[in-house]
Amino acid sequence: MKLFEKIIYSILNSKFKKFLVLFVTLLAFVGSVMMLPTKIVLAKMLPGKSANTYSVYVDTPTGSSIEQTKKVTVCVNKILEKEKEVKDIETYLGLGSPLDYAGLVKGSGFKRSENIAEIVVNLTNKHTRDEKSFMMVHRLRPVIQKSCEPIVKGTNIKMIEQPAGPPTLASIVVELYGQNSKKVRKIAGEIATILTKTKGLVDVDVMQDEIFKKFELKVDKEKVIRSGLSIKQVNQILYLAFEGMDVAIKNSGNSPEQIPLFLVLSKKTKELSKFSKHDLADKLASLKLMNKKGMMIPVNEIVTIHEVNSSPTIMSKNLRKMVNITAETDLVSQVYPLLDARSKMKEYFSKDYIVTDTHLFNLRLKDKKTGELYDLDWDGEMKVTMDTFRDLGGAFIAALILIFLLMVVYYKSFAISGIILLGSFLSIIGVIVGHWVMDVFTVDTFFLTATSLIGFIALMGISSRNSLLLIDFTIGLIDKGMEKRKAIAVATATRAKPIFLTAAAIILASTLLARDPIFGGLGVALIFGTIAAVAISLIFVPVLMDNTKAIKE
Amino acid sequence: MQKSYKPKDVAGKLAKGFLHNPLTPLLGVFLLIMGYIALEVTPREEDPQIEISGGAVMVVLPGATPKQIDNIIVKPLERRMKEIKGIEYIYGIAAKNVGIVNVVYYIGENRESSNLKLYDKVMQNMDQLPKGTMQPIVKPFDIDIDIPIVTVAFYPKDGSNISQIDLYKKVKYVQNELNRIKNVAKTGLKGEKKEQYNIQVDLKKLSGFHLSMGQIVKSLKSLAADVPDVKDRTKDGKLVIFGVKNAIESIRDVQNLIIAQYMGSPIYLRDVASVKIGENIQDFRSAEILYRKNGKFEKSKKQITLTLSKLKGTNAVVIADKIQKRLDELKSELSKDGISFKITRNYGVRADEAVNELVFHLLISIVIIALLLVFVLGWRESLIVTFTVPAILAVTIFVAFLTGQTINRITLFAFLLSLGLLVDAAIIVIENIHRHLHDHSSVDKDMDEILIEATDEIGAPTNVATLAIILTMVPMAFVGQMMGQFMKPIPQNVPVALFASLIVAYIFTPYLSRKLLKKPNLHHHKHHFQKDILESKKDEK
Repeated sequence: MKLFEKIIYSILNSKFKKFLVLFVTLLAFVGSVMMLPTKIVLAKMLPGKSANTYSVYVDTPTGSSIEQTKKVTVCVNKILEKEKEVKDIETYLGLGSPLDYAGLVKGSGFKRSENIAEIVVNLTNKHTRDEKSFMMVHRLRPVIQKSCEPIVKGTNIKMIEQPAGPPTLASIVVELYGQNSKKVRKIAGEIATILTKTKGLVDVDVMQDEIFKKFELKVDKEKVIRSGLSIKQVNQILYLAFEGMDVAIKNSGNSPEQIPLFLVLSKKTKELSKFSKHDLADKLASLKLMNKKGMMIPVNEIVTIHEVNSSPTIMSKNLRKMVNITAETDLVSQVYPLLDARSKMKEYFSKDYIVTDTHLFNLRLKDKKTGELYDLDWDGEMKVTMDTFRDLGGAFIAALILIFLLMVVYYKSFAISGIILLGSFLSIIGVIVGHWVMDVFTVDTFFLTATSLIGFIALMGISSRNSLLLIDFTIGLIDKGMEKRKAIAVATATRAKPIFLTAAAIILASTLLARDPIFGGLGVALIFGTIAAVAISLIFVPVLMDNTKAIKE
Repeated sequence: MQKSYKPKDVAGKLAKGFLHNPLTPLLGVFLLIMGYIALEVTPREEDPQIEISGGAVMVVLPGATPKQIDNIIVKPLERRMKEIKGIEYIYGIAAKNVGIVNVVYYIGENRESSNLKLYDKVMQNMDQLPKGTMQPIVKPFDIDIDIPIVTVAFYPKDGSNISQIDLYKKVKYVQNELNRIKNVAKTGLKGEKKEQYNIQVDLKKLSGFHLSMGQIVKSLKSLAADVPDVKDRTKDGKLVIFGVKNAIESIRDVQNLIIAQYMGSPIYLRDVASVKIGENIQDFRSAEILYRKNGKFEKSKKQITLTLSKLKGTNAVVIADKIQKRLDELKSELSKDGISFKITRNYGVRADEAVNELVFHLLISIVIIALLLVFVLGWRESLIVTFTVPAILAVTIFVAFLTGQTINRITLFAFLLSLGLLVDAAIIVIENIHRHLHDHSSVDKDMDEILIEATDEIGAPTNVATLAIILTMVPMAFVGQMMGQFMKPIPQNVPVALFASLIVAYIFTPYLSRKLLKKPNLHHHKHHFQKDILESKKDEK
């Protein structure tokens, strides 16, 4: 301890050494902060979490049959079966799997159509398994998509992992607003292409119905009325014949429900040999309706068949028509691919549109010819990230102000409060450098996350405690009549032990935290931040204390 | 004896007040017991509860195209929803035949009042619905009830050829059994096939007999009618009850239904259609399971998944445990019927694992810190600090329990985060006591006085510093959005833990020090900086 006291004393007595301390601190601060824009340390809201389960969502194009969808799931299951870590696989055809956190916001609970399927994959316990679930997803995704998507053209297969934090629709969601639905469809396609080409993005999907060919039966009103039928009757019988209906109910004591009597044409007789207008007309010719007089009239005599395009579902958000384009990130943070894709979009669309920036990253496209407006907003995890970082930033600033006010109340001096605040703020050096160190030593990218920020905020309080005890002790010694520099040196040396002790406690308590995927950021922020805080409060703060006139002899 | 030391700070006063109090050890034991009870009783779950309110309004208009639906249903409905306060997003979906409007409230809005507002708005505007629409369906979403904590897949056992219908009936029975368990809320089935009479008409035969589908419908409807029993009275006032039996008793009744007369002979339904008891063929939804047997995957099997969710604020671990027990009881019965099952999701186990793992981490951390202190301060001092940790955690858990929180990943992280902070107060106090005991100026002082003075000395700065850390946590409570809700346990619990750490440090550290520590026998030898002070004081004189 005596040695340390001497070192501090010699620093305080030499102008050059004091300058050196201040300069090195400044350099470290600038250097560490620069790690963020230079992408040496990457930011992400929350990192991936290894789980014992993940899901595969299969979307065949709108209008596909359950049989086609099943073919795709069989192919997916074949690949999954080969994995030795897969315990069991549940396939849900035509409906969503039992709801989970991810499915909640992805609309899994509402799914009910022939062109969708969800597969739940349960893995062996994560503690005994070598491969993390997100690494497995990363490895299998291209394999599954490559071999299974071509089975039905236009199929989209997504690999869904359980979110580590709050669930979002997708990592990246582009909301495209516009009135002209045809144009919106085209732009959406172009955006999807750009996203697909962006490195780090996978599972790109345009959330809209595909347009497919269908037949429209136009009822000839005159013929219907003349033949003594009604349009309602025609509609009903057609539905009854091909889709079927419950026409009566039987109550039963042995069955948990009423037993419906379901009437439909037999599969064999209603089947068309191929997708054509002619075949449909033939089939309708054999289906007859009975009019009031008891005469039988074939359906095809009162209707004409037209081949048309299906009309897709119209989506809107906050009263504006919208199409969502979603993409997931593959082991990377969503921030950088987004910026990448955004600049590509700006370049691509500037040919036909005037592109302007609106709020934050959002873009507005104005058609050069027609003047129509299209808005392109970013949502999904990106928006949650932005909001969270903004809010945490706000919380951080509020914390700074609160600490400052508290210190002013306690010391009745702005200068001393400023020293404490500056001392604690500088622990950010440790936080950022710590993330860089961890990134170097771990296999996958170690992100600066929301929990790192929480750690940093907590750290502010801890390092202010160090400075506080130091200043308090110094003032106490000066009151006892010691010379200022001597007092600072003695105080620093005396407080060094408890400061080291408490720091060691925090570091040791956080080492287990650092291993956690989600709270790793917090742990690392605390460990390295504390180290920096100790260095700063034992070397940097004494220099400032010596320089300020607020601490008087 | 010197005049006894007058404490200036709360720290010293607390230390003085409890130093000789016989209730102090009782208080310690009491805190630990309360904490342990709270740890056992507080509901456990993996993720914290996020209060998301919202819902969907569905309006069906048969035969309408998406464009029509958009104009006459979705747009007006969206405008109405706009009138509700607290809604953040409105999503409209105009599909064929149906319009759906999803609303999402700002996170943190009260769920009950949000649901009420949604219902209220829809009901108020019932008269404005277009003609031909069906009754609107309002479905609020509810995370706790909607997300199942346990899912079980039931499937035919190897070699069993139980039909989908029988499987369904049996699973329905199991569902009923499990629904009885306390705090099990919503249960549901996925991939089930219901029983029905399938009447599949042969189109060729139909036209052969010159019949229409309409005729079949008419004759089926005329047959299947249930009427309540009829009462009649005898002359002497006794009741005679008689009733018409449902004409459809078995599948035969349907098969032998006469639908028309052709050339004088009756045409039965069986002549033109195949009539069978079977599953609802029109439902395209199904579920399958693939599982390993002897390490290899079997062929895909049809299954029915039973999903079970819990009531809000109840213990996922306990419920999942009970479900599993009940299932084990039913196992042999199901097996007799040729049914096997597999639990495909168990959040209870996951929550328990996560919680236990973190509790284990907490313990390890405490041990590591204790070891560190043994080396730096000595084992008695280390023991004192180590005791304060469970006491502080006990207070925190108890407060969390009282405020209706659950033990989840985030609460435990809040504990882990505060662990490093909450030993601080105790370390600072014990270090100062240690320093004072070994200080040469205190040779003449009484043990009690040293303890109180040492505690009092660092009281003020420690109070302020701890207050500073608490203050840094407060703004975090105002972080909005989903993430804010998710992290809420941190600003909720860390300040409590820190506050508790102060009080515990001031009360128990001096008390235990008095019991465990001894004043060392020191020689009258001055430390160098004290010499300086004394010298400078001399100079002043």
